[in-house]
Amino acid sequence: MTDTELDLRLPNDLAELDALSSRIEAFMEAAGIAPTPAYRLQLAVDEFFNNAVDYGYPDGRSGEIGIEVRRVGDQLHLVFSDDGNPFDPFAAPAPDLEGTVEERRIGGLGVHLVRTLCDSFAYARENGRNVKRLTFALAG
Amino acid sequence: MIHIDRIVAGTIVVTAVKGRLDSSSSPKLEEFLAGAPHEGNILLDFAELTYISSAGLRVVLKATKLVRGAGGTLAVCGLIPQVHEVFDVSGFSTLIPIHPSREAALATMT
Repeated sequence: MTDTELDLRLPNDLAELDALSSRIEAFMEAAGIAPTPAYRLQLAVDEFFNNAVDYGYPDGRSGEIGIEVRRVGDQLHLVFSDDGNPFDPFAAPAPDLEGTVEERRIGGLGVHLVRTLCDSFAYARENGRNVKRLTFALAG
Repeated sequence: MIHIDRIVAGTIVVTAVKGRLDSSSSPKLEEFLAGAPHEGNILLDFAELTYISSAGLRVVLKATKLVRGAGGTLAVCGLIPQVHEVFDVSGFSTLIPIHPSREAALATMT
């Protein structure tokens, strides 16, 4: 097993998203990851990347987003980091999932999906970067 | 990467979506569904939808509001297990009818 690690550094540009999802998909296939954990990790990267680009650099500066994926035993480990403004997404309140269609607000939905679908999540501010560490069980 | 087909089945307009619904492709479906309220009943056939993120869910919720506001109904069908899980975790499963297949949906909706 050689292809069990992925380490990407990308500019904070949404134009990177299509290529990024293809890279992750290819990695999942090569590493033999089952569809459900592969999807959950893909979703986490997608939601975090969008949030980082949309809200992390309000002054329009260019930044660097890091994505590391590693297969460790019966888990997938994701380390997502960016040099945007400090923000802990897990400290935000959960979105309102009750109520009718007409009442529903959508804010925070992406983070809610990610924290619900992963096995563990943690946030830290390290060396000027937002660092999120997530694990996903391989037996989905 | 997304492909959208529109098929009229009696009183129901089937919108079949193929590919991925993420932040880059969702605006295309949003644009496509902007005229949905005038069509009455909408079935989103997601049998060939391989991926949906919160950006895609947003478009589905917006279309649901538009269609219901105009007195119509909106349902989805054919979700793969991973997409179904996202609908469940988001709470959308309790808001929007989900049918196993297009045939089952059309039988229920007509």
